[in-house]
Amino acid sequence: MFFHIVMERNMQLHPRHFGRNLRENIVSKLMKDVEGTCSGRHGFVVAITGIENIGKGLIRDGTGFVTFPVKYQCVVFRPFKGEILEAVVTMVNKMGFFAEAGPVQIFVSNHLIPDDMEFQSGDMPNYTTSDGSVKIQKDSEVRLKIIGTRVDATEIFCIGTIKDDFLGVINDPATA
Amino acid sequence: MSLVTDSPVNSSSSDDFAALLDSALDSASSDSSPVEEAKDDDDVEIESIKRHKVENMGSTEEPDGSTSQVSVTEVLEEESTKQNTCTHPGSFGDMCIICGQRLEQESGVTFGYIHKGLRLNNDEIVRLRSKDMKNLLRHKKLHLVLDLDHTLLNSTQLVHMTPEEEYLKSQTDSLQDVSNGSLFMLENMHMMTKLRPFVRTFLKEASEMYEMHIYTMGDRAYALAMANILDPKREYFGERVISRDDGTQKHQKGLDVVLGQESAVLILDDTENAWTKHKENLILMERYHFFRSSCHQFGFNCKSLSELKSDESETEGALATVLKVLKQIHNNFFDNTSDNLMGRDVRQVLKTLRQEILKDCKIVFSRVFPTKFQAENHQLWKMAEQLGATCSTELDPSVTHVVATDAGTEKSRWAAKEKKFLVHPRWIEATNYLWQKLPEENFSVSVVKNQ
Repeated sequence: MFFHIVMERNMQLHPRHFGRNLRENIVSKLMKDVEGTCSGRHGFVVAITGIENIGKGLIRDGTGFVTFPVKYQCVVFRPFKGEILEAVVTMVNKMGFFAEAGPVQIFVSNHLIPDDMEFQSGDMPNYTTSDGSVKIQKDSEVRLKIIGTRVDATEIFCIGTIKDDFLGVINDPATA
Repeated sequence: MSLVTDSPVNSSSSDDFAALLDSALDSASSDSSPVEEAKDDDDVEIESIKRHKVENMGSTEEPDGSTSQVSVTEVLEEESTKQNTCTHPGSFGDMCIICGQRLEQESGVTFGYIHKGLRLNNDEIVRLRSKDMKNLLRHKKLHLVLDLDHTLLNSTQLVHMTPEEEYLKSQTDSLQDVSNGSLFMLENMHMMTKLRPFVRTFLKEASEMYEMHIYTMGDRAYALAMANILDPKREYFGERVISRDDGTQKHQKGLDVVLGQESAVLILDDTENAWTKHKENLILMERYHFFRSSCHQFGFNCKSLSELKSDESETEGALATVLKVLKQIHNNFFDNTSDNLMGRDVRQVLKTLRQEILKDCKIVFSRVFPTKFQAENHQLWKMAEQLGATCSTELDPSVTHVVATDAGTEKSRWAAKEKKFLVHPRWIEATNYLWQKLPEENFSVSVVKNQ
């Protein structure tokens, strides 16, 4: 799920950035530092959408660096247990398949793939129904349900299932 | 989705959001977010409806007898126990792959080469293997585990190259299109790699009969770089590239990280000692030394192929030979349709085929083993027996070959007198590598002069 939230961060800035462009420098450094990172609490920071305010800078003794407390708005992404997600399949093997939804790695074990789908090996391994109408392979888009999540400092792992109503392939690149 | 418009956007501090998340995660707590609450309510409602239905069923069927009631409760119990006792057959990022529960202790075998954070327990591995076996046999395929260094290719560090090898640096093939070249310089790894002649054809033909894996003692980065050169289109190996980082034992290779039934796996490797537990699956390869540093490493002080500006033969080299053997084994495994395929063992097929080579030979060794050495335990003795020959310590008319390094020994002279073959020990080794009985004349023994 995506959230639009306000977060706060102390930015340390080298004195060379001081001057007319101080504000721009802080913002660009903030974007570089924060976007694309992952925090266990909030999930994955997708983008900074705005700056609420930049507080008074505090000069560090000895170094000349200045610390600014910055409040900013950002869009974060965090998967939840029970959530339905759409993801792109990255790898298919006999254990199941791996999919990605942005930075999130999802594993769907073959226990949680409908029983009528069989694994087919070959140079393009896939799971296919007996009549061949539905096929999951690399780059397929699937709708799945998250049944377990783990958000680390840098990564998000999820366990998913497609063994439920209305889950499974939503767009097959082979037929598209 | 009232949550999004509701609180966090307008709230001034991120702590609010964190608190909200925490409460959302803890579904048991009562004062959770509106969304969670709504969901919980739904769940409760659905559940109560279900319960209601079941109760109804029970009550309507009650007059028929108490047995149905029992069965209903049994079903309920069964369902609940099924949910409670997930066996946790494996984990991904420390979560069970079936129920999504966080697992405290790590168990099972890590399959890091397939995906980071993936682990499987033994029962699951067994299950996957037997499922895989059926699939494999339907496609008439077996597993083949390939070593990289000295088997499919030869690599050297750039710093170890001799002045005589410098000319190679100007002959490297481009890394843009790796599908045709055979000599590559990997600057970022400070390495030069030469593919063994015939390797492209070998991989192409073997891939039709075998599901292939790479298993190398090199590190992960090296393994992937080599896989990329050997298989630029990713049609042969897929994710089945195993490096020493993925093995379960130090300085050993093991089939425990290979998801294939051991009775259907063949191994091609130049180092027998790496596979102590799986010698029966192993086809030993003659080492491919192209660079000087590689020769040097194994104690050969002769000129290397690179210095002589030559190479192994394309059509009669080790890979061409072993491909024939692989075809033969594949044929023998799938050919006789009489008994069931599942019960067959490729190790047995390999053994039988190997024993054909020197079937009618009776070998006597002369001064090949140290005097106090138990002859039966010597490598050559064992090798000869594996090739189907009979070994003996005594001379008698049925003996066909005498193996010696010196034509002057008593047994050698006997062989000359009785018109038996007198061959060098290399004859056995070469036969073992090339899988055919070689002409004995090429391995004659000369008299060593005693001073």
